[in-house]
Amino acid sequence: MPSHPLRVAVVCSSNQNRSMEAHNILSKRGFDVRSFGTGSHVKLPGPAPDKPNVYDFKTTYEQMYNDLVRKDKELYTQNGILHMLDRNKRIKSKPERFQNCKDKFDLVITCEERVYDQVLEDLNSREQETLQPVHVINVDIQDNHEEATLGAFLICELCQCIQHTDDMENEIDELLQEFEEKSNRPFLHTVCFY
Amino acid sequence: NIMEFSAEGGGAQIPHLIDMTTSEKVVDLLNQAALIPTDEKLTVLKQVCDLTSLNQFFTEFSNHMIAFQTDKSIEVKKFVIGFIEEACKRDNELLVRLIANLNMLLKDESVNVVKKAILTLTQLYKVTLQWLVRFKVLSEVQEACWDLVTQMKEEVLALLDSENDGVRTHSIKFTESLIITLSPRTSDSDVPKRQEGDISLDKVPKDHSYIRYDVLCEEGKTALEKLLKFMVHPAISSINLTTALGSLATIARQRPMFMSEVVQAYETLHANLPPTLAKSQVSSVRKNLKLHLVAVLKHPCSLEFQGQISTLLLDLGMPQSEITRSTPVPREPRKRPRHEQYTEGKKVKMEPTLIEDDEDKEEPAPLSVPKPAAVPVAQSAIDLTAEFLHPLLSPENVANLVLISMVYLPDVMPASFQATYTPVESAGTDAQIKHLARLMATQMTAAGIGPGLEQCKARGDDAGKEEGNEEDSSAKDLLIKRKVPPVMLGQAISVVGGYAEKAPSPETPTTVKRLPEPILPTAQTKIAGASGRKKVFRLSDVVQPLSETQIEKLTSSAVKRILHSEKAIAQSGMSHVRVKILSRLVTQFEGMMKEDVLEFILEDIRTRSDLAFSLLYQEYNTYLSQLPTGLLDSYDHCLYTLLSGLQEKPEQRDGLFTKLVLEAPIITESALDVIRRYCEDESRVYLGMTTLKELIVKRPSRQFQYLHVLLDLSSHEKEKVRTTALAFLKRMYEKDQLRDYIEKFALNYMQLLVHPNPPSLLFGADKDTEVAAPWTEETVRQCLFLYLSLLPLNHRLVHELASVYTEAIADIKRSVLRAIEQPIRGMGMNSPELLLLVENCPKGAETLVTRCLHILTDKVPPSPELVERVRDLYHKRVPDVRFLIPVINGLEKHEVIQALPKLIKLNPIVVKEVFNRLLGTQHSEGSSSVSPLTPGDLLIALHNIDSTKCDMKSIIKATNLCFGEKNVYTSEVLAVVMQQLMEQNPLPMLLMRTVIQSLTMYPRLGGFVMNILSRLIMKQVWKYPKVWEGFVKCCQRTKPQSYTVLLQLPPAQLTSVFERCPEMREPLLHHVHSFTPHQQAHIPASIMAVLEANKKPEPKPVEPVMEKEVRDKDATHTLKCSFSDKSENLANSYLMPQCNFIWSVSFTIQIELVAAPPSSVVIEAPTAALIEPETPIQMSDKPSPQPEPAEEPMEASQPEPSELQEPEKDAEADVTGPEAGSGSEDVE
Repeated sequence: MPSHPLRVAVVCSSNQNRSMEAHNILSKRGFDVRSFGTGSHVKLPGPAPDKPNVYDFKTTYEQMYNDLVRKDKELYTQNGILHMLDRNKRIKSKPERFQNCKDKFDLVITCEERVYDQVLEDLNSREQETLQPVHVINVDIQDNHEEATLGAFLICELCQCIQHTDDMENEIDELLQEFEEKSNRPFLHTVCFY
Repeated sequence: NIMEFSAEGGGAQIPHLIDMTTSEKVVDLLNQAALIPTDEKLTVLKQVCDLTSLNQFFTEFSNHMIAFQTDKSIEVKKFVIGFIEEACKRDNELLVRLIANLNMLLKDESVNVVKKAILTLTQLYKVTLQWLVRFKVLSEVQEACWDLVTQMKEEVLALLDSENDGVRTHSIKFTESLIITLSPRTSDSDVPKRQEGDISLDKVPKDHSYIRYDVLCEEGKTALEKLLKFMVHPAISSINLTTALGSLATIARQRPMFMSEVVQAYETLHANLPPTLAKSQVSSVRKNLKLHLVAVLKHPCSLEFQGQISTLLLDLGMPQSEITRSTPVPREPRKRPRHEQYTEGKKVKMEPTLIEDDEDKEEPAPLSVPKPAAVPVAQSAIDLTAEFLHPLLSPENVANLVLISMVYLPDVMPASFQATYTPVESAGTDAQIKHLARLMATQMTAAGIGPGLEQCKARGDDAGKEEGNEEDSSAKDLLIKRKVPPVMLGQAISVVGGYAEKAPSPETPTTVKRLPEPILPTAQTKIAGASGRKKVFRLSDVVQPLSETQIEKLTSSAVKRILHSEKAIAQSGMSHVRVKILSRLVTQFEGMMKEDVLEFILEDIRTRSDLAFSLLYQEYNTYLSQLPTGLLDSYDHCLYTLLSGLQEKPEQRDGLFTKLVLEAPIITESALDVIRRYCEDESRVYLGMTTLKELIVKRPSRQFQYLHVLLDLSSHEKEKVRTTALAFLKRMYEKDQLRDYIEKFALNYMQLLVHPNPPSLLFGADKDTEVAAPWTEETVRQCLFLYLSLLPLNHRLVHELASVYTEAIADIKRSVLRAIEQPIRGMGMNSPELLLLVENCPKGAETLVTRCLHILTDKVPPSPELVERVRDLYHKRVPDVRFLIPVINGLEKHEVIQALPKLIKLNPIVVKEVFNRLLGTQHSEGSSSVSPLTPGDLLIALHNIDSTKCDMKSIIKATNLCFGEKNVYTSEVLAVVMQQLMEQNPLPMLLMRTVIQSLTMYPRLGGFVMNILSRLIMKQVWKYPKVWEGFVKCCQRTKPQSYTVLLQLPPAQLTSVFERCPEMREPLLHHVHSFTPHQQAHIPASIMAVLEANKKPEPKPVEPVMEKEVRDKDATHTLKCSFSDKSENLANSYLMPQCNFIWSVSFTIQIELVAAPPSSVVIEAPTAALIEPETPIQMSDKPSPQPEPAEEPMEASQPEPSELQEPEKDAEADVTGPEAGSGSEDVE
């Protein structure tokens, strides 16, 4: 087992649903976890597919909540968005953008391939300094509440397994293979360096 | 870095330490740190860093910090490494001291420490170089420091071959950094801002005294070679590959001079993804490749490679539009001088040769290079071969190639192909043909064939000839050659058309001939490529048959190589293949290798169990495939060897043995023997038998065979083995399907006891006891262990024991009786089967039954059912009184009394036991058994035994046993006994003996005895000769107390007394003379006459009548006397109800003890008189035994005198002393 607790980042596109669900579960299980989005804006479903609610990353969950209550409380209660925001604001005040965070992690878990690509692009564009490795793993999760919950559990199980390896870097490959087989979904996995 | 330390560390603690001087604080903290747990230690050490980083103490305390590198905790070690890095960056002088410490940590056993050390060395390598090149001349320590750093660098490079994936990853990053440091930064280099100040080769002076520019340059190139070589390893892990791809991109961007190598490596990789990658890993790697290709493409120097890169990107699925977006706008022609400088003019010389090529070549990049000087590196073998192939790829040729190569397609589509395949959109276009040509060229070059390669070689040799000492350029191509074999092994089939390139090669000469053809040092490639096609290939031409021994040697060393490549193969994730190959090989071919493999497995069976199982199954498969005729020998040997190996290993906890046994398809005889041996090992008996049990349960087809082994072990000589086996068997006995077998075995085994000598079966195979040995306790028990442990589970079996018992010889019977205690006790007296046994009691099994009865009643009183059965048995079938003993306390009083004559005739030990039971002196505690007889009853019953039924000697011995129990037969009990006996009519023969005995035991009963004697006179004791004899003796012994009694005798009897003991007369006379005249007047004259017999003859005839009258008067008188006496109150107490009798007696005795002899005479008289009226009540309470005919005692009396005499003598001998003593005490 690694001597220090694993520093984990969970990343999705808006830092609302999938990453926050995982953030929630992982922090309850005692992980040193943070969550991020990679999109340029925070997008939440709106009254129609082509009319999303768009915020910037400076808007707090609280503000979004109030905004949506004002706009159409019934709609956003019914589709679970308010509930989600309520959960989120109890975890942290506002969404964070991965590209703006300079803290270091041991493990970054992304929730879809596009996000994975963006994380990789960002990490590779940074100047290397300490050469400390960071493993990036993509777990595809559809962006809805149910899948987010299932995905969060999968992420959590994965993190627990990784946390319990004697030598994470030496065993992660095999571990992921096993997980792929077990969960029957492919994981993208790579390593970047700070 | 230090900022981090202070951020994480105990910044808050610093203020309150401010009072002390910094130095003191640091000392204090360091001392603390040495003694506290890891977490706190880190905090404290961080504080130390914070304190020292700000001032001059930093250097001073660094040594103390470093001391923590030997700490047990990985985190502390890593912290120390971090400290070393910071310290050395801060104060370069410290490098000299600390680098050796880093070197130590680099070899730490924890990979996490090693990884951290590698990261630090990555930084410190640059720092050291930067620091040292500042000096014109190095000091000795600086030189040593550099040497060590160089050595460490080599070591980290070597870690590319580490077994640990993470360590390899770190080593790759180190290599990347090293390559950049050891190559010159050029104007077109991308320089990250942070690394602007970093050292690079161009900043190293070429004339440094110690650090040689050219050596560093060479080392940099070697590092790149190593990295490239590492990348083409077929079993490279996905993460290592990813890391290396990234490193190459960094190198290409920061050192564009290597761009060609990088792009080529990308190309090679793209066409030859390692076969070991899983599907998702292939996607990850491709994604990375794309990312890094774009990064390289974005670099301005990529111009020359844009064609290749965009082809690759297209292949990787990137839309053309995006590629174009990432392609840089051509800038000003790049400046080349630095390149030229770097290649040191050598390349310049080659330029002319290559310019010609360039003119022939269709440049893939739209923009042709204005200065061809930059190209030489780019114009690689692949380029040349691709150019060569391009015109040949006519539709017809391609179709042929496809048809031919169909043969070589694998049956299953490889994962990497499946993942990477994209339908060819631009089929037939020139760009696509070009791409195809390039793909083929990559493969051909990788396979070591093609005109391009030969040209390059020629070129390299050419250059080599011209400049003998300069081999850089050829080295690059040689590198490519070197990586051929591994690529070919795993790769050739993963890409379409891998073998097809041979066809076009004949047409190459045109190109080849343009360059001089030197003799190639590595001739193999040429043979393979060129001559192979000219001749018709016949295997027999090139091979020779090997000799038998050679074959053997080669085979065995081949197997050994596979065997010992364990780790390397494990790393590549192909262990299962190795295991399969090994097991197939070994089972197919006979010979030594089988032994080798088994031995190899046994060396470390825990990690090699896969192989063990695989081998075993393979052997079994072979057996199955040859079935009707096949032999199990080979399988048996394999299983046997493995199991024996495990069995012989001293320590082995992981249940592998069990696993092997349970998973083996068949357990052979010899394997079963090993299991048996395993079970016989006391330290593993439990595991062994558990395994055996599993076998029995889970392999029903042969369960009895396995069960038999366990049954055999149930009589094993080692106790632990035996008891464990028995415990297992007991549990199995509960299973219906095994029950019969176990039971039969147990009974058969017990049945052996009927043999006159123990059968050889009972002796282990190793002990050859052919000679008929006698039965021993041990051999008997051996036959009984199993049976006896089953007995409590199935009581029915007890009858079998009885039937065996009747047939067995005496020795065995004895042993059996000893052995059955525990199980019989376990069955309990309520067991219906046991009761049945008692009821039936087979002839010859009486002793067995008796023993059972004893065991059952040993601790608990017999149950009524048991008593009933025994009674029946006794009365109806076997009138052996011994049966009654165990249940004696369950019998009725009259039954006991009836049995008593027979009982006391038994062996004295048995009699003693009977009495113990009856008197309750046997059970130590918890005995709730109530004897049907009180102790008094018993003694009385003994006196009343009909002397026709029992000899007097036995009776006396029995009474002696009673007297022996002084705790039971207290003076009170004896007094009651005497009292009752005296009341009987006729008097029991042993009455006086008992009286004397009682008196001997309890001298204080003297008064009571006098009373008895007086009353005996009234019963005319002289009519019973034996009793009379005892009476006289008693008087003799109790003088002078007995004088009063004697005086009560009629004259004739007194005369008889004096006849027996003449010496009594004189003292009695004296006694009378001492009376007061008044008292003397009460002595009848006839008595006085007898007393003075010497002077006057007695007037005998009148006496009887006289005496009676006198005596009556006498009594009343004495009574009156006593009433007037001072002991009035005492006398009163005798009038109390009978229930107080015992108490009164004891009271009397107490009084007597204090009373002086003369007055006691007065007291005694009334006592006798007073008791008399009460006797009737007593009689009615306890009916006295039937009056026995007077003749009977006489008949039995023949031995009597001696009998009577005997104990008396004993008593005298034993007791006279104390008696005399106590008498004198009384007087005083």
